[in-house]
Amino acid sequence: MTQDYDVVIIGSGAAGGMAAYTLCKAGVKCLMLEAGPMIDFQRHRTMKAVYDLPYRGFGEPGRFPHITQASEFDANVWIDEKKNPYSYPEEDPFYWVRIRMMGGKTLRWGRASWRLSNFEFKGKDHDGFGENWPVTLEDLAPFYDRVEPLFRVSGRNEGWPQMPDGKIMADESRDSLSIQRFKASAAKLGVPTTKPRRATGTLASSVNLLLPDALATGNLTIVPHAVVREIGIDNGTGRVNAVHFVDRRNKRDYSVPVKMLMLGASTLESTRLLLNSRSRLFPNGLANSSGVLGHYLFDQFYVKNTVVAVVPEARGGKGGRTLMGGGGYIPRFRNLKGKEKNFIRGYAYDFGSGGSPSPEILPAYGSDLLKMMDELQGSTFSMTTMGEGLPRYENKVSIHPTLKDAWGIPSLHIQQKYTDNEFNMAKDAMETGAAACEGAGFEVLAKHWEMVPPGESIHELGTCRMGADPKKSVLNGWNQAHDVKNLFVLDGSSFVSGGVQNPTLTILALTVRASEYMMEQKKKGQL
Amino acid sequence: MKRRTVFQSLVGVSALTPALVPALQAQTAPSSTTPAADDVFKIDLTSADAVATPEHSFFTAQQYASLERLCDLLMPAHNNRPSAKQAEVPQFLDFLLSASPAGRQVLYSQGLDQLDIDARRQQGKAFAALSDAEAASLLAPLRAAWNWASPSQLLPRFLREAKNDVLRATSNSKAWANAAAGSRRATGVNTYWDVIE
Repeated sequence: MTQDYDVVIIGSGAAGGMAAYTLCKAGVKCLMLEAGPMIDFQRHRTMKAVYDLPYRGFGEPGRFPHITQASEFDANVWIDEKKNPYSYPEEDPFYWVRIRMMGGKTLRWGRASWRLSNFEFKGKDHDGFGENWPVTLEDLAPFYDRVEPLFRVSGRNEGWPQMPDGKIMADESRDSLSIQRFKASAAKLGVPTTKPRRATGTLASSVNLLLPDALATGNLTIVPHAVVREIGIDNGTGRVNAVHFVDRRNKRDYSVPVKMLMLGASTLESTRLLLNSRSRLFPNGLANSSGVLGHYLFDQFYVKNTVVAVVPEARGGKGGRTLMGGGGYIPRFRNLKGKEKNFIRGYAYDFGSGGSPSPEILPAYGSDLLKMMDELQGSTFSMTTMGEGLPRYENKVSIHPTLKDAWGIPSLHIQQKYTDNEFNMAKDAMETGAAACEGAGFEVLAKHWEMVPPGESIHELGTCRMGADPKKSVLNGWNQAHDVKNLFVLDGSSFVSGGVQNPTLTILALTVRASEYMMEQKKKGQL
Repeated sequence: MKRRTVFQSLVGVSALTPALVPALQAQTAPSSTTPAADDVFKIDLTSADAVATPEHSFFTAQQYASLERLCDLLMPAHNNRPSAKQAEVPQFLDFLLSASPAGRQVLYSQGLDQLDIDARRQQGKAFAALSDAEAASLLAPLRAAWNWASPSQLLPRFLREAKNDVLRATSNSKAWANAAAGSRRATGVNTYWDVIE
């Protein structure tokens, strides 16, 4: 049976959920297609001891070659890599981390919620690299203002241009003495520090913050298990007219007519779908007259535990809550006033106090190691670097000529590699972090600059970017396809650059803006 | 529908209207004559580890003997916490390696063989028979300063991997949890996500 919907939404995560929330509350009838199942939080989750797991917490060997975040406890949340294969050049691995269930990656996101600044939106103006966004902070600020309270973001407004203030709950918690010492040391190096800024609550997901309100309007219909294989287009009008999907469980094919399509399947899944949707009008992928669809892939590189140090006074279990505990954030501080280093753009850090060092980095074994671990328990201070990866044309995704997923849908081939700009940035981050720790009187146990493979930060962005020039971009400044007026692409694929900020908050704000623009255009008869 | 009500329905908590509740209770409440066969019982179960000895499936006898000795050296009993051997780590690693990708299988097999070859060359006896002092020179790579890059040589690379695995398998064992019971030490209990259709 075919129903009549104003809008079809693909995906139920940050982008899809926010689109449904915005549109349904405005009276728009929406159909949401989600590739995965719904979770029953009571039935699907139980408390277990690690020794009761089949692999004693190690996980089934070889099950997740690319998802380092997966543990044996939550292995069933992440995508099945065998059913959903992809490829990359052997010498340049890409770790594509996916969740395919209701709520998408908002079920497991890190919740850090920073606004992008005009150092990102106008990056080209600042240092000449890449392209500016067709959106400025001033354009997006009213939408950030609306999504931050919805996701109950807490943190501290500092008035720094690279870290725009938000409509957030003030974090007035007191820093431990080790954090105070580190902040004072960082300040001497000209390195700013602040509180973390993140969404709060036991669950900060599309499934509890967005979809319930959308459903409550009576305007939202959600279909799970719907793996979209292709978007259909009317070659006469140039408009999207159908979505073709397959039931994940029994592989039965379906089609649904489309008046308006909001695509939010996640950065690379959305681009994969567009590339797989070929027609006489768009033989190289839907809305790809520019030829840049799939190009300008980038992410934020992570150097996990760039610096691991010990707070000497906390050795031997003498830390306590006054000395140890808590954490913070260092926003980008490099190259804000011109090029000052052997790289452009910059990096940020998360830092934390109070953990214990991984036994791996301690140069001992046996009783000596165990004594060392007892001695250092709770005394550790660590830093992780998040650096800006540059969007480059040659970093791209394309459709693999033969590889297909379990539903017969052609898979992606992903090519991304870091360059000296990222490597130099990571080395600077290591040395600067270590200097700040040493200045605080901490003993540096280990430091390194080597980043995890591209993709592992789960902040892959670009490949369907926005832009003012239709010859250089796929979407306009409203996330609307230049070529296909009733197609909006909402997720991280639309990003022009990413800075060092976690992208979810910006995806949410862009989605509200695009959804409202779409409704306005519809009212004006422009669509 | 309110957000909380919808969320309850999403997570499986019934959001029934008051009028429906008595009717459903009448349908489902057990009567005194309900036969016991219709009840759902809580059945206590025991894991195979608790009643049976796992069969060796991967390492040769010589490799296994070396692995047992290596476990002794890497993770002895300490502060009322069990040793790797008490936590049955050798048996567990034998199983884990049997299911592991080929690269890890080769690393462990060759690493254990190398330990034995070096022990016989240096000390004239099997690695499994070495004292702590005699084994120290073979395990010297574990006393070297940490480097992010995995060592290029076989033995240091194997020892680094084995050290991590032995410590983890020990601290994730039931013996470890039993030793930690009643203390503030973590016992490794966490939220497990079941298979979702």
